[in-house]
Amino acid sequence: MLIIPAIDLKDGHCVRLEQGEMDTATVFSEDPAATALHWKALGARRLHLVDLNGAFAGKPINDAAIRSIVDAVGDDMPVQLGGGIRDLATIERYLDDGVRYVIIGTAAVKNPGFLHEACDAFPGHVMVGLDAKDGKIAVEGWSKITGHDVIDLAKRFEGYGVEAIIYTDIGRDGMLNGVNIEATQKLAQALSIPVIASGGITNLDDVRALSTVAKDGIIGAITGRAIYQGSLDFVAAQKLADELAGGVFGV
Amino acid sequence: MSMVDIAVVDYGMGNLRSVSKAIEHVAPAMTVVVTSDPKVIAEAGRVVFPGQGAAPDCMREIDARGLRQVIIDAAHSKPFLGICMGMQVLFDHSEEGDTPCLGVLPGTVQRFPHEAMIDAEGNKLKVPHMGWNNVHQTGPHPLWAGIEEGERFYFVHSYFVQPTLPDVIAGFSHYPFPFTCAVATANIFAVQFHPEKSQNAGMALLGNFVTWNPGEGEAACDMSGATCA
Repeated sequence: MLIIPAIDLKDGHCVRLEQGEMDTATVFSEDPAATALHWKALGARRLHLVDLNGAFAGKPINDAAIRSIVDAVGDDMPVQLGGGIRDLATIERYLDDGVRYVIIGTAAVKNPGFLHEACDAFPGHVMVGLDAKDGKIAVEGWSKITGHDVIDLAKRFEGYGVEAIIYTDIGRDGMLNGVNIEATQKLAQALSIPVIASGGITNLDDVRALSTVAKDGIIGAITGRAIYQGSLDFVAAQKLADELAGGVFGV
Repeated sequence: MSMVDIAVVDYGMGNLRSVSKAIEHVAPAMTVVVTSDPKVIAEAGRVVFPGQGAAPDCMREIDARGLRQVIIDAAHSKPFLGICMGMQVLFDHSEEGDTPCLGVLPGTVQRFPHEAMIDAEGNKLKVPHMGWNNVHQTGPHPLWAGIEEGERFYFVHSYFVQPTLPDVIAGFSHYPFPFTCAVATANIFAVQFHPEKSQNAGMALLGNFVTWNPGEGEAACDMSGATCA
């Protein structure tokens, strides 16, 4: 299982949010490429980027920072990117820049036709980010809970040909209070495509708990605040995940 | 140069870093190189033959690098692991682009037939077959050691192999019908799925390969005269 460092980008800087609220952003670094290289040097095998301006404004505006990260880490470290991706032209530009996977979130829920088109146009490069609370999908930076059941929707998207589902349990993300193992495992068991867990990976106990159910199809765990604040030692976490769940190389 | 323990054959078909990283992970004490040098492949202790892309491109690139004979020789003489396209092109012929392949194993490679891609509930199944699927073992083999029957592995493919000789079949999956996803001869093990992307089960298989000594406890060339002639 991959431990995937998250880099949230806002106005060209690396920031952390609490519970997805834009006004709680804390700047961690003004040099995104250096932050990316830091994780690579520690043995990270994939990076997770979030364009927060894009996510809120509806169009990407951290282009330069994203390109600098992709150029810095090179081809052998896949980069996945989400935030504000709502049209095929944006996807094409990111993939041309060297981003390996684009993550479609709200737009997938609101406009499944767009997701379907994206999967057909860029097979193998489209992931979906599903945020949920109590099994129901949330959209727009978690400000709205919908009536969609997570598993039903994920299965539908699997049929479109998405590469993986990134699952965030929003009661937990950013609050350092543990990962929702049960919900993540249930989703992975219901799908034949990989699931990446996001939200609440706080310490080695979370990594251990997730690793023990990783064989159900959980290939990664995205972690942000915990590795920046130090409650989770990245190197120890990746080592533990490899020992317990085995490696994932190049998915 | 000192002898290489494991050569990962590079013939320009995709990024092989993921495969080589996974091998290094399970064999930290061994020398692992990604190479397109026939001499290095010929001298390596064991060979991993990965690959992605289309069959005609794979065969063209193999020949462009002068690797055909050294791959065939390795497949007849030392522990040899084929992965994905590296499994398919071991056979005689691929339907993909009507491509003659290496002919190490008798059989053909076929596309998932459009009309058969319906599951038990009547849903249409996508091609490529992409994602986790259960792998059923046809019997014990050193490379299955420690891997549960029916374990899930990660697949991405549109074509599957149809061996002429059923005794080479080491594993199969369903999509929706049973298809061969692993074959074995005296010293070859080849899989359609991606062990490097399959976590514990995949690492176990790669770990078994790097320590596999064909011939120990098995009769050499017991699978078929045709493959070892």
